[in-house]
Amino acid sequence: MSEIEANVIFSIENLNRDYICALDKLDMNKWLACFNKQGTYTLISNENESNGLPIGFMLDDCYERLQDRVTQVVDIQEDSTEHYQTRHMTQLTNITDLGDNKYKADFNFTVFYTQDLIEQTSILGAGRYEDIILVENGKVSFIQRKAVLDTNVLPRYVPYPI
Amino acid sequence: MNATTPPHLKWPANADHTAVPYSVFNNQEVYDLEQARLYNGPTWNYLATEAELPEKGSFKSTYIGDTPVVVTRGQDNEIYAWVNRCAHRGAEICRERHGRSEDGAYTCVYHQWSYDAKGDLRGVPFQRGLAGKGGMPKDFDKKQHGLRKVRVVNYHGAIFGTFSDDTPDIEDYMGEDVAYHFKRIMHKPIEILGTTRQHIAGNWKFYSENTKDPYHASLLHLFHATFGLYRSSQKGESISNNDFHSVLWASGGTEDESALDDMKKDKLRTLQTGEYELQDMSLLAGTQEFEDNVTLVILSLFPSLVLQQIQNTLAFRQILPKGKDEFELVWTYFGYKDDSEEVRNYRLKQFNLIGPGGLISMEDGESTELCQNAIVRDGEYTNVIQMAGKEASGDDHLVTEGLIRGLWKGYKELMDF
Repeated sequence: MSEIEANVIFSIENLNRDYICALDKLDMNKWLACFNKQGTYTLISNENESNGLPIGFMLDDCYERLQDRVTQVVDIQEDSTEHYQTRHMTQLTNITDLGDNKYKADFNFTVFYTQDLIEQTSILGAGRYEDIILVENGKVSFIQRKAVLDTNVLPRYVPYPI
Repeated sequence: MNATTPPHLKWPANADHTAVPYSVFNNQEVYDLEQARLYNGPTWNYLATEAELPEKGSFKSTYIGDTPVVVTRGQDNEIYAWVNRCAHRGAEICRERHGRSEDGAYTCVYHQWSYDAKGDLRGVPFQRGLAGKGGMPKDFDKKQHGLRKVRVVNYHGAIFGTFSDDTPDIEDYMGEDVAYHFKRIMHKPIEILGTTRQHIAGNWKFYSENTKDPYHASLLHLFHATFGLYRSSQKGESISNNDFHSVLWASGGTEDESALDDMKKDKLRTLQTGEYELQDMSLLAGTQEFEDNVTLVILSLFPSLVLQQIQNTLAFRQILPKGKDEFELVWTYFGYKDDSEEVRNYRLKQFNLIGPGGLISMEDGESTELCQNAIVRDGEYTNVIQMAGKEASGDDHLVTEGLIRGLWKGYKELMDF
């Protein structure tokens, strides 16, 4: 990571911060704004990822799917799922220059959640992000954000992206 | 079922399959009795798909009820299963979810007693002692100390196990209609696409009810109803076999207009036709891969399995009880080995619909927990299961709770409540 320019590291950290703050505030439009028009989002268990199996909890393979994820969370499932407050803790572990202003970035994450009715805090999951990030013309955005969960048995269902 | 049921566990006089006492969901004694009478009783329990045991030496760890079980493929290519508990001192032998034993041996790490794929004891370290000291008694017979074995059957690519000698033939067990729909989905070799696992803080039978309940599907799942994947107004049927087992099927795009009008009059929260549009319509594109045009099948095989087809998504859902108020739901997703790339892509896209994050399935976990939260006391109080009458039977429509009544009728008899 020492070969990566400081302003690139700063941009990537900023993008990740925007992303996790958007989710913790459940501001799905700001979540969507972290992706560019080629953007994809995957939430998958490490069990499937390490066995080369494609199934994930969420497989938003195009920008339109990301838009539909926003609609799903904001409008469709609003009163049929129990809301919980998340707190995402992340740590940048690696950046690799892929050329053409693209970077592969890895973060570790832990997500705490507090359900409205229960008001006790537990860990929703821990894992890693595997990102492809575009840093271009002063803008930074995800081409890919893949969240790989170490937590193979989720403590509940997952209505929101991680 | 040798022991008699303790009187305090018998259902109150006003309870039957239309009015079930909440004690079945919140009582530790009931839970323990279920492990004895259901899971160790005359039931077939889903263990694995054959596709997960592709070669000699393959194994998978799972459960029957809350008893840990390992399914293996032996060197003779046959499939076996045994309780994952060393005959010596009770330690867990297999500590991986799945894998392959190169030499076909399964060795307990504690004292290295080793077993073959059938569960027969093959090796006991220091059996004859060291330098004339110690060792097992001379009359120690390894044949008498194998693992507790599970009787298995491979039914069209799915492996089921039972502890009981009284469990009937698998097809007789599930019944004619359930067997037909099982074979309809499992009509050719499958390919595993992945697994997801979720913990649900509710009694496992709330989920069994849920999968026999077409009444809720239009009302709880907004995505379902709004985008027409399933509505109670569609052409469909609820079928009950041998009380416990059931099939719900529906054909998308076969709206009975008068029924749909009735739904609209009810101003349902979940029926928002025209309100929302998908930007990515390919999620619902898919392909009609079955000649009967049935787009939704929920096959419930008591006590542990749900086999589903929703659009082009195919999955086994295994219900694993972990206590009176918690269970684990394991989803194993599959396609067919001969899927074209196009069909495979349809499936992958549509898997967004199901599973722990599924657009049309996540609320089922929520409803289960909502019920559990509210029945922590008042075990003698009963629910009301009377939609479409009081008979424990199927119907030629989807506005019914008849299959749930079937579940409880069979449950009451088998549990001797």
